[in-house]
Amino acid sequence: MQTIYTLFLLTSLLSILLYKKPLLAQKLGFGLACVISLYAAIFFFSNLKETLIWELPGNFISAPVFRLDSLGMLFSFLVSLIAFAVSLYSFEYVKFYEKKANLAVFASLFNAFILSMLLVIASDNVFSFMLLWELMTLISALLILINDGKGAAKNVMIYLGIAQIGAFCLMVALLIMASFAGGFEFSAFDELNIGFGMSMTLFSLLLIGFGSKAGMFPFHVWLPLAYCQSPSNASALMSGVMIKVALFAFIKFSLFLPQFVQFGYILLFFGALSCVFGIIYALISNDYKASIAYSSCENVGIIFLGLGGAFYGLGTNSPMIALLGFIAALFHILNHAIFKSLLFMLSGNVYTATKTRDMDALGGLHKKMPITSIIFFIAALSICALPPLNGFASEWVIYKTMVTGGIEEGVVSRFFFALAIIALSITGAMAIMAFSKIYGAIFLGIARDTKSIEEAKEVSFMMLLPLGLLASFCVGIGIFMNDVVGILSKIVLTLIPQTNVSTYGFISMPIILMVMFLCAILPFVFLYLLKANNKEVRITDPWACGFLYNKSMQIGSNAFTGDIRKALSFILKYESEIKLDGYFSKAVYTHKTHDFFWDKLYEPVIHSIMLIADKIGIFQNGRTNLYAGYILIYLCLILIFGYYYI
Amino acid sequence: MDFFYLLLQLVSAILVAPLFDGISRKLRAKFQSRIGPSVFQTYYDIYKLLKRGRTKSHSTSYIYQISPYLMFITAAAMFCALPITYSTHSVILSQFSDIFVLLYLGALFRFIFIVAGIDTANPFAGVSASREGTIGFYTEEVAVICLIVVMMGTGSSNLPFITSLVQEGTYGYAIPSFSIASTAFLWVMYVETGRKPYDLAEAEQELQEGVLGEFCGKDFAIIDVAILLKQFAVLGFFLVIFMPWRFEHPLLSLIVFLAEVGFLYVMGVFIDNFGPRFTINKGMKRTMLFALSVSCASLVLYIMGI
Repeated sequence: MQTIYTLFLLTSLLSILLYKKPLLAQKLGFGLACVISLYAAIFFFSNLKETLIWELPGNFISAPVFRLDSLGMLFSFLVSLIAFAVSLYSFEYVKFYEKKANLAVFASLFNAFILSMLLVIASDNVFSFMLLWELMTLISALLILINDGKGAAKNVMIYLGIAQIGAFCLMVALLIMASFAGGFEFSAFDELNIGFGMSMTLFSLLLIGFGSKAGMFPFHVWLPLAYCQSPSNASALMSGVMIKVALFAFIKFSLFLPQFVQFGYILLFFGALSCVFGIIYALISNDYKASIAYSSCENVGIIFLGLGGAFYGLGTNSPMIALLGFIAALFHILNHAIFKSLLFMLSGNVYTATKTRDMDALGGLHKKMPITSIIFFIAALSICALPPLNGFASEWVIYKTMVTGGIEEGVVSRFFFALAIIALSITGAMAIMAFSKIYGAIFLGIARDTKSIEEAKEVSFMMLLPLGLLASFCVGIGIFMNDVVGILSKIVLTLIPQTNVSTYGFISMPIILMVMFLCAILPFVFLYLLKANNKEVRITDPWACGFLYNKSMQIGSNAFTGDIRKALSFILKYESEIKLDGYFSKAVYTHKTHDFFWDKLYEPVIHSIMLIADKIGIFQNGRTNLYAGYILIYLCLILIFGYYYI
Repeated sequence: MDFFYLLLQLVSAILVAPLFDGISRKLRAKFQSRIGPSVFQTYYDIYKLLKRGRTKSHSTSYIYQISPYLMFITAAAMFCALPITYSTHSVILSQFSDIFVLLYLGALFRFIFIVAGIDTANPFAGVSASREGTIGFYTEEVAVICLIVVMMGTGSSNLPFITSLVQEGTYGYAIPSFSIASTAFLWVMYVETGRKPYDLAEAEQELQEGVLGEFCGKDFAIIDVAILLKQFAVLGFFLVIFMPWRFEHPLLSLIVFLAEVGFLYVMGVFIDNFGPRFTINKGMKRTMLFALSVSCASLVLYIMGI
């Protein structure tokens, strides 16, 4: 594994050294990243059951050790797999940013980002973990800034601000844990001897720390800002794998704590909130990239539901639920990494072709970009958890966990599991609406703004290849879900030994597919037997009730969600304005949806911080004699303090 | 053998469904003091559609072409997921017949329905597609709350298993939460069949069915059959959980099931014909809130362990 890390580091350095020749650096940087990550994916997958340890040679503070166990291997595999697809895609894609940024820097940051994620997963003590964690955040912030523009600095500051809140909580939690364990090595963390109150506090700190990075509600506000700002390949990596790294660390650290059943309830509750609010915002957004970004919040919520089941199982000592819960969570992590990075890359294709992110301006793109459209269709089906694709497979396992958890006696557990299932079902219904809207508005119908798709054409084969690969994973993992569950259960068994596994009562996706094939034959038989009319289809305008058809008669993405928005008006603040000047001139509609929690939670805090900063700013006025005065006052205070207390 | 009976279950439903539709149309006409069409009218309709030529909008893409078949496949698969001619003894098919498979096949149907509507670029189709999604948003959670009670009560989401438990009497109407859930679930399944006050098949421009405004000829015939099958499947969903009358011989249970489902379908006319029509949000709020509260009541009973 050290070879892989070293190679990524060297590629990153090489790319930055070639900054005078950005095109060469781009070819080398992304090409090498692609090869190395393919090698890494194969390496990590083949060593899935091993534990590898690597000590950094030389004299560093606290002698960093890197250690990968089964779970770490799985996540490293996931990172390298997605990195492989994304770097193959970036090879051509980044040319779009040629004029905006130095591609050598882009390639270098890209490699460094992959490296930092891999190292965070492998790091084995508090020091190196925190250092690499912050490094990962910083590099991702720089990647966002590649796409410089209006508001970029603000978006990045919001991202960094929330990341820092998280990192602070993490630091506190890890230091407390280290002081209890008596060492900074994670291997010393096993079986901490702490009481209920302390472990509850630590768990909450960890949840805030990692949840903020994972985009859990109510820390989801940075998702649309950061992902819309960054280039699509960077958002694919961030949403596909960076938030998975946070989830990995969350699983790893919370397993060190003594387990209580309340952990499960907390996770179920926040998971349910995350998925419902995430999908509501995804549904009403008119910007397809923001929609996809919000749906990350939803999926993190679904993963937390699985984890909630798992921690409930650990807390009540029922290994079957714990096992199912962990399998469900890991399975959904795997699936979400695949289809979310796929969707972000596809949105990159759409954006480079049309230069707009407004769904109300798009439409009819299928005719220009047929393959992108079909892959998008598959990705949309799998993110909506429709059978027989992978999203359905993992959500089914989550449902199974919830049902198994809710059987047991006890009002509280039944309540929380029922809540989780209800949240998941509402999410499912709204996800259908959200993604059918996105797919329909972008690819189907007629372009609402013809200028936007005039120059659109299908992207090159090199860019479609990784997309096709990931789409085939979506189908393949769905069909072979029981095999994937088998592999995952072996990994989970290393986390919670003393359990035996049985897949009894699981559905079988091949049979579902077989029945669907059987059903597919029937209509053709009927059509043949009844001698249906097979004449050529005449092509006309869409029917408009006798009026002359106009393309703006189509439903817009805003009108599509009108009824839902009305029904949900108690949590959605929505403003629409109609500007009319004169009877015959065009009316201008403007509409804006507010993020309720941004307004109520973040805005006041930011406002008060700004206010305080403004007041403090008086002290910093550039007059040297005043600064000398500050030093004088400070010295006097120190002297008084020293006189009385020391 | 399992698959043979499965095919039989499907084909017989396809053959019988239009008859019940015809009966309900006749009955509705009688209520409205009309003579009404013959009971075989739906067969004639479908046959005639098959013979018609087709036109399509210039905006359409591959979705328009494949969506009738996809809708048929999902509706048929939904119907196959009902354990009528097979039971827990069938090792293969009981891995398929699952509550969530059925629910998510229904969701797939809805997804294709919406996408097909947007694809035609027809103004009415777009509005109807939006309504279809909204109705899904309202009904899904009520259905799932009822099903949570059943699934957690029986400890499984496997349909044949639940059916056999309810039929044996080890789990069933003696449990209050189950019987309350049944009423709410029947209501939701009625909504899912897409009838008034939620939909009206004959008024295509305004309601859910507007999605199909641009479909014609054999495509439309296939969609018609698919929608009939879906209606049968959702009513059957209620029957296999809450009223499982199963017999040893698969054919006998199939005949009884079809009669039951047909009866429910025709009875729907009583709500359909006398119910008022609402705008979508008002109607949904008025009628679904009641179902929602009933289902929540049953869930609360379950949580308290009654």
